[in-house]
Amino acid sequence: MSGAGKPRPESGLELYAWIFMRVSGLALLFLALGHLLVMHLINNVEVIDFKFVAARYATPFWRTYDLLMLWFAMIHGVNGLRTVLLDYIGARGWRVLSLASLFVVGFVLLTLGSLAILTFQPPTAP
Amino acid sequence: MQVTLKIKRFNPEKDKEPWWGEYKLDAEPTDRLLDALNHVKWYLDGTLTYRRSCAHGVCGSDAMQIDGRNRLACKVLLNSLGSTITIEPLRGYRVIKDLLVDMDAFLEKYRSVKPFLIAHGPEPEKERLQSPEDRERFDDTTKCILCGACTSGCPSFWGDSEYIGPAAIVNAHRFLFDSRDEGGEERMEVLNTLEGVWRCRTIFNCVEACPRDINVTRAIGEVKKALLYRKV
Amino acid sequence: MVKPHEYLTYRGGPGHWSWILHRLSGIGVFLFLLIHIVDISLIGWGPEVFNKLLFLYRHPAFRVGEVALVAAVFYHAINGVRICIIDFWPQTMSYHRKMTYAVGIIFAVLFIPTAVYMLSFIIK
Repeated sequence: MSGAGKPRPESGLELYAWIFMRVSGLALLFLALGHLLVMHLINNVEVIDFKFVAARYATPFWRTYDLLMLWFAMIHGVNGLRTVLLDYIGARGWRVLSLASLFVVGFVLLTLGSLAILTFQPPTAP
Repeated sequence: MQVTLKIKRFNPEKDKEPWWGEYKLDAEPTDRLLDALNHVKWYLDGTLTYRRSCAHGVCGSDAMQIDGRNRLACKVLLNSLGSTITIEPLRGYRVIKDLLVDMDAFLEKYRSVKPFLIAHGPEPEKERLQSPEDRERFDDTTKCILCGACTSGCPSFWGDSEYIGPAAIVNAHRFLFDSRDEGGEERMEVLNTLEGVWRCRTIFNCVEACPRDINVTRAIGEVKKALLYRKV
Repeated sequence: MVKPHEYLTYRGGPGHWSWILHRLSGIGVFLFLLIHIVDISLIGWGPEVFNKLLFLYRHPAFRVGEVALVAAVFYHAINGVRICIIDFWPQTMSYHRKMTYAVGIIFAVLFIPTAVYMLSFIIK
């Protein structure tokens, strides 16, 4: 059996990833469920439109809220999918390729989402 | 009662693919499944191969997948099963023949956690004493018989055979939490890796499979927590 | 090598099923998050583009999908709390079966009324 039993250098990365999943998970418990409650249940897609979002982003509170949620959710999700890929993809080449694509997609969308939240200019109300 | 054993057979010297052998026999409801297997081997088909030794749930030889769950054939009574019983070898190990699997990799991982007392300093004149409370701390994990039912029932292990597996972690726990042992750091080095305790997803299949009723996932959780407070 | 369907044929306990559901719901929510980021970033293109897109979201098929999303988030959240509890207090693992069943009950209590409420908007 290759590798079995050989002690590998411990980097502590997996320990920190494990802690992060629990801390971010608890933060998302409030952020994501709060988001669902406000944007999908109290309000829903019938009332949400450009004007609604513009009014919402006029105050820094919701921008901060969304930004925090975006970062926590994205890193939590990327790390979650990383564990899934590590569980099932053993071949070195495929493992590197799938992990690299995951990180690239995650990074690009995190940047895109952050830009959308930070740079949005609500049309100045009369 | 009449029972039918459906056994997954495979002889690598003759068969390309595993096949199902069906054996009908008369048995007492209070017979163990191992008795039924012995009956098949002794009177119906002598080529059937499986491991068994003590036949009393102590040696851990006859772990196999019985009706889709890992158990010891000597600890399962026929009256707790249906009239058709499906028997397969343990998952995730190479099948040598029929129900006999290659446990070398399993035992190599067991060895990697150094499952023996490591103590430095001068040797005491008599035995190394320990309070009953300190002994209690790792009582659960002393019960392991290395049957392999837990590791072979673990989905993390199915996906990745490099995972050190619940059985090895249980045996590491037995020494990590022993007040007389000083080998913690050496063992943690092996356990604090991707293929160590962090591959565990707390699925509890190991707990369901353990014939000795060890709370395996709890033992793994205690090792994780020990790592957490050592580092943070 | 264990084949994919064999992950379902092994008769594990409730923890086995809760792990499968946690994984599937996590992957589902993550994929939705990716799409959701793209559509929300379209707000930078102004009201016309953004409001046009909302017709898509108001389609009944999408709104049923939204109910599925809520189910996935609820399950992942409640089961995640269980995981945090057992991880930080391993002694609670002595009650692992009961805790897994409790997740199912809490999920049903929270999700069923929410689903009825959400579906009532679609039928209207």
